[in-house]
Amino acid sequence: MDATHNFLDVSRESSKHAYFMKQALLMGEKALQANETPVGCVLVYDSQIVGTGMNDTNKSMNGTRHAEFIAIQEMLQSHPRSHLHSTDLYVTVEPCVMCASALRQYQIRAVYFGCGNERFGGTGSVLSLHSDYAIDLPYPVHGGLFRKEAIMLLRRFYIQENEKAPKPRPKKNRELNTSFEGDAESFDYM
Amino acid sequence: MDAQAVIDSVKPLAGQVLPVKTVQETQAPEEFADAYAAEVNVKCASKVIKALDSKFNRDTSLNHLRRFAKRNQLPEALQSTISQNQNNNGHSAHTIFVLISPPTADLDTLQTLLAPFAPGPPAPEENHTTEACSSDNAKIPFYPVRIPLQPPLNARQAEKWTKAMWPVIFNPAAPRANVAPPPQILNRALDSIKSRAGFYMALALIVADEAEHSGLGRRVGAVIVDPAVEETIEAEWDEAVVAVAGDARYSRLEKSELQLGQGPNPASHTYNADLEGGPELHALMRAVDIVACRRREDNTASAPDNGYLSPLESHFFYQSDAPPVTDTTDISPIPEKLQKIDTTTSHCTKSAGPAVSKSRIRPRTLGGYLCTDLDVYLSREPCLCCSMGVLLSRFRSVVFPRRGRMVSGGIASEPVVSPICDNDNDDDGEIDAEPIENTGDKSRDPQNNRKYYGLHWRKELNWRALGFEFVEDGVSFEMGIEGETGVAFHA
Repeated sequence: MDATHNFLDVSRESSKHAYFMKQALLMGEKALQANETPVGCVLVYDSQIVGTGMNDTNKSMNGTRHAEFIAIQEMLQSHPRSHLHSTDLYVTVEPCVMCASALRQYQIRAVYFGCGNERFGGTGSVLSLHSDYAIDLPYPVHGGLFRKEAIMLLRRFYIQENEKAPKPRPKKNRELNTSFEGDAESFDYM
Repeated sequence: MDAQAVIDSVKPLAGQVLPVKTVQETQAPEEFADAYAAEVNVKCASKVIKALDSKFNRDTSLNHLRRFAKRNQLPEALQSTISQNQNNNGHSAHTIFVLISPPTADLDTLQTLLAPFAPGPPAPEENHTTEACSSDNAKIPFYPVRIPLQPPLNARQAEKWTKAMWPVIFNPAAPRANVAPPPQILNRALDSIKSRAGFYMALALIVADEAEHSGLGRRVGAVIVDPAVEETIEAEWDEAVVAVAGDARYSRLEKSELQLGQGPNPASHTYNADLEGGPELHALMRAVDIVACRRREDNTASAPDNGYLSPLESHFFYQSDAPPVTDTTDISPIPEKLQKIDTTTSHCTKSAGPAVSKSRIRPRTLGGYLCTDLDVYLSREPCLCCSMGVLLSRFRSVVFPRRGRMVSGGIASEPVVSPICDNDNDDDGEIDAEPIENTGDKSRDPQNNRKYYGLHWRKELNWRALGFEFVEDGVSFEMGIEGETGVAFHA
């Protein structure tokens, strides 16, 4: 394989990742419109999107209805579970501890995420359930894809008052932060 | 036997409820650092502190270490080092040892800083008016010491460190704040749980049997209880049960692979990930979904998303329509929090209109939110996914039988090693704040390779629940635990 050819492969590969992460961001945008914590994801099998999900905890009154679960449920309507071995997940925010374990149980092939999740992250931030000893095979994780876009979605959400919460806290004086100085980012995600 | 008859025949399990320690308690890091003990004139103690604190920033995380120690309070080894060094001068009665903790400067700097306070021959009081406490050319003796960087978790540990390193203070209130739930909260929950836990545990096991026998799932059951309702009822224990659910992981298999009602599904004899359904079909997740369905009130007449409800699940799903039979007028003044629930149910008794929910589960229109403040009893230790689901659902507490521990579980925080783990057996109504002898990292059990996450209460996570193990009377764990030695799966 010559160098030019290799370069084309690499750029094709990265534009593929970019495309799918943009689709996940669109799902996050949809979640924001629906007053849910803006996390979106897509499942990709054989280069096709076979499941999409966005956080649904407010509408469903079920704290476990995270984007990953919704997407897997959609995929399983038309695919056998074993296809998840050859399926990749693109999700705007690092999967939480619950989803990180679920993805391992489903034996996902790989996970690509946007920004880390310092509060609940299960694939490196708080725990590393993708690689710890477990009865299922580990899976690789790649973070940082469209990280700023994923963070901006969350910031736009947290600047609003969460009227669904039992005691909404006034956030009138908050301004949308658009700087990315310093890498540490933490949200009261969920 | 119909569901009510099954419930009426429930015999409570005999046993006791023990709090699951947090990983901060069981896997507390033991970190040590080098420091110096400097011998100074006892009369200058406050000046020494002033000099040190103005020169170096004081590390408040080291408040468990005494700043000063008299010679006879020091570890014996250090005392004998001092004796060897000091055979010439005999003024130890007038000196005290100050701890110079990291980050420590070089000895020359420290010597210069502390030189004015060096021990010297006892000076007559009246002559002693200058800033410095000693002659200019006096030398401060410095002795290297090791100090523990974390506060001790118990008096025993404090004593051990005091004897070997440097005097340490154990504060029973302070260290727990960051490492474990506040004792009063834990004790209150334990008090409310322990009297009826045997019933709920027994019911969870019956629900588990039902799930296994149906062929739809593994032998795992979940029972969700509202402790607020429980405190208002006098009669039947099952009135506080708001939902039950069994495992249904095989419900996605092809019809031909299912042998409904024929007993355990053949797939349950081994672990093949592809046949395991998914965590949303685990007992905990299904029970949470039933509560969510009630909170939403959008399809009260139909079962939740997963469609299928077993006879027991369905009993509680529809039973929760009926208000508790307790005569509400009998209830004397009750806390506001409980009154809310009570007025809801009594209101429902009067107006049976279809628009008004009669569920024991408060709908969101009346302030119901996720599984806030509910307790969940599981027949097995939940998997990591479901353990986190417990937190995200805002349960107050999670209870499972010790013999239901799983290799893949997410709650346990240390191995069961009898008889040490049962040191809480002396039931004096108080939680034993003395962890067993801390021997470093217990996060891995060499016997079965499992990792201990103690997910119910970790200081890093935003949400926390109380975790309890139900230890049945007369059950020995010396031969191992079925869930840790049998077929490994996610409960």
